[in-house]
Amino acid sequence: MSQSELTSGKQGDGKHLDEMTLLLYVERQLDRENAQEVSLHTQTCTRCLTLLRVLDRESRLLTRAMFEADEPLPARLAEFQAQVKRSMRWIWGVVFGLAMLGIYALYTGYIEPWQMQLEQAGFGSTNLLNLLLFQGAFWKGWQSMFTLLEAIALMATMGVALFAFRRYVRRGSALAMMLASLGVMVSFASPASATETRKGDTVEIKKDEVIKSDVFLSGEHVRILGTVEGDVYAFGQQVDVSGHVNGDVFCFAQSARVSGQIDGSLRSFANNLTISGTIEHSVLAFNQVINLDSNGKVGRSMTMFGETATLDGKVDRDVLAYFKQLSVSGTIGGSLQGKGESMSIGSGAVISGSTKFQGPKEPSVASDAKLASPVQFKLAEHKSSGMRGSGYYIWRVIFTGAFVLLGLVLISLMPKFAMETVQAAENLGASFGLGVLVLPGVFIAAIVACITVVGLLVGISAFFLWLFVLISAEVVVGSVVGQWIMGKSTELWPLVARMAVGVIAVRVVTSLPWVGGWAALAVVLWGMGAVSLALYRRLQPVMAPNIPSVPMGPMGTPLPANTTVGGV
Amino acid sequence: MSAPGKTEPLELIVRARTGDTQAWGDLYREFAPAIFRFCRRAMPTKEDAEDATMEIFMKLRDKIEQYDQTRSFTAWLYKVAANHCWDMLRRRKLRQDKETEDVTEMPLECPEPNQLEKLIEERTSEEVRKALDKLGVRARMALVMRYYSDMSYDEIADALGVRRAFVGVVLLRARHELRQAMGQNSALAAGGLR
Repeated sequence: MSQSELTSGKQGDGKHLDEMTLLLYVERQLDRENAQEVSLHTQTCTRCLTLLRVLDRESRLLTRAMFEADEPLPARLAEFQAQVKRSMRWIWGVVFGLAMLGIYALYTGYIEPWQMQLEQAGFGSTNLLNLLLFQGAFWKGWQSMFTLLEAIALMATMGVALFAFRRYVRRGSALAMMLASLGVMVSFASPASATETRKGDTVEIKKDEVIKSDVFLSGEHVRILGTVEGDVYAFGQQVDVSGHVNGDVFCFAQSARVSGQIDGSLRSFANNLTISGTIEHSVLAFNQVINLDSNGKVGRSMTMFGETATLDGKVDRDVLAYFKQLSVSGTIGGSLQGKGESMSIGSGAVISGSTKFQGPKEPSVASDAKLASPVQFKLAEHKSSGMRGSGYYIWRVIFTGAFVLLGLVLISLMPKFAMETVQAAENLGASFGLGVLVLPGVFIAAIVACITVVGLLVGISAFFLWLFVLISAEVVVGSVVGQWIMGKSTELWPLVARMAVGVIAVRVVTSLPWVGGWAALAVVLWGMGAVSLALYRRLQPVMAPNIPSVPMGPMGTPLPANTTVGGV
Repeated sequence: MSAPGKTEPLELIVRARTGDTQAWGDLYREFAPAIFRFCRRAMPTKEDAEDATMEIFMKLRDKIEQYDQTRSFTAWLYKVAANHCWDMLRRRKLRQDKETEDVTEMPLECPEPNQLEKLIEERTSEEVRKALDKLGVRARMALVMRYYSDMSYDEIADALGVRRAFVGVVLLRARHELRQAMGQNSALAAGGLR
């Protein structure tokens, strides 16, 4: 500060120095000339001297306040310390090697044989996921589109995983060990398998042969004439089960026929499936054509997806069918529920439960068919979004009430998390971005988990979590919109009121013709992203109680206040 | 700027630069508590302070090569910490302070020395800390940099992105905010002390 500045810093009648000048003096920021002037002034001016000393004491008080009340180093930071100390960058090299080993083993041990088996079965698929979801005998065409979607979705999944676990990825030794373990596990898992495997052009289990374990069979022609006491996994162009299987049968084939007995269930993925034998449990079939012959019997229920189905045999319990054409002339012990283009019930049909059909035209029912109740037909309508009946709006109102109720329950059960989610939703960019990743990513991840070694439990749990978040998205967005309309609040009931108003507003917008669908998509992306963001923040490690503080080093010693005041 | 009597951990730094994990662990053990406390004072929540502390030490790994051994490591580390915290706060748009130009235009009333002395005598460290939490982000950051980590005006100016000449103004305004927070109902808060 120059001389003129210092002079202008004098206040009032020019007798006193201003606070800024005195502070700079206390802070030793004045040049020598100005400092001398201040020093001289304070020797004769009691007021300025007092203020100078007070500013000095204020500095000391500030320093003392900042150094006192030592908080223990949180457990999370203590862990980080241990990790910094133990950090081993070299382990990534090892991990990379092990991971490569694992991937190679996985490919040669599992993927390649399965791929060959599937190809032999007539499925020219690149992987199992692709086969099950996007192509094969059941849905034709769209292959390139779905492959692209699948790749994008999987990349999104990886992105979500990296984002969610980036903190742990940074502190990588735990992840490194996990990857290494996985690699090693995959490498050595194969020899431990007790399942019998047979492959060749023609694979046959002879009539008098008994296999006491599970069996994998693959070939152009697969025949089971004998007995298998475990499960059967069959891959082939033609699969014929005429023997006896005590467990379940999983069948991937162009043409499959069951003329023997299966004590468990049948899971069939084939172009054509014919059942003329007995299946004690249920049938789940994704087939283009399915025939339950008059001799065929299913002990429990049947669930079918495909084009043409003919049920001439006996099903002891319910039948659920999604087919283009369904023909029933056999016996159904439970109810029949069908959805498709046409359904006919023949003269020999017996249906003990209710019969429901949804399609573009009424089903044809033979006069002598024995039905426990008349067919309940529901016309499948294809209305455009601009032509909605009153029923649509009534249901919208009912669902709005349901969403408000859901929001009330969620906010009441998890008020803190609800607040955090709403706060996260206010971060529009991050929420939308995360929503774009989570919406397809978690869904695909759940499916991948279901069909890989991760397991059904994890996959189904992830799917239901995904579904729950999807449903809750509207409540989250409603809460934010409600706050925009009515102002912010952190208390429970005002928050519920805002949520209710917001949900109604959101439902109105999403009900609009033409734009409503896009608005609903935006709401889902936004809400899912917000929940994910809040969850991510919640999943950060928290401070554990009673963790002793790390001993303070010399830096823990309070610094001396920078308050030397020359001449005072 | 380092604490009196403190020996700079030059040997540790040299070893850490070579990738010695033991040295990194020792550096962390020695400096993490102080950096955490710095972050605790500078950041709005404890969780933010924990995040910032971890990120600062991760950043330190990349920046350690830039450290000039002829200067104080402690001062350099605090500078890294201050820059990081301020960046975090700025990214979150938590800056509540007015722009520097506004600060300079707003006159500050000179307090009555005796009343100010009385206020300071009556306030405990705890009350000061509570008042600090009520300050705007920049005011708190400036006070922490100056009175906790003893950073120079040049360093504060660099960290906050203001001209050096404004640092005194920022600090003085921060003190006024603090006094107001400490004694909401006193005459000091009104700024009418002459």
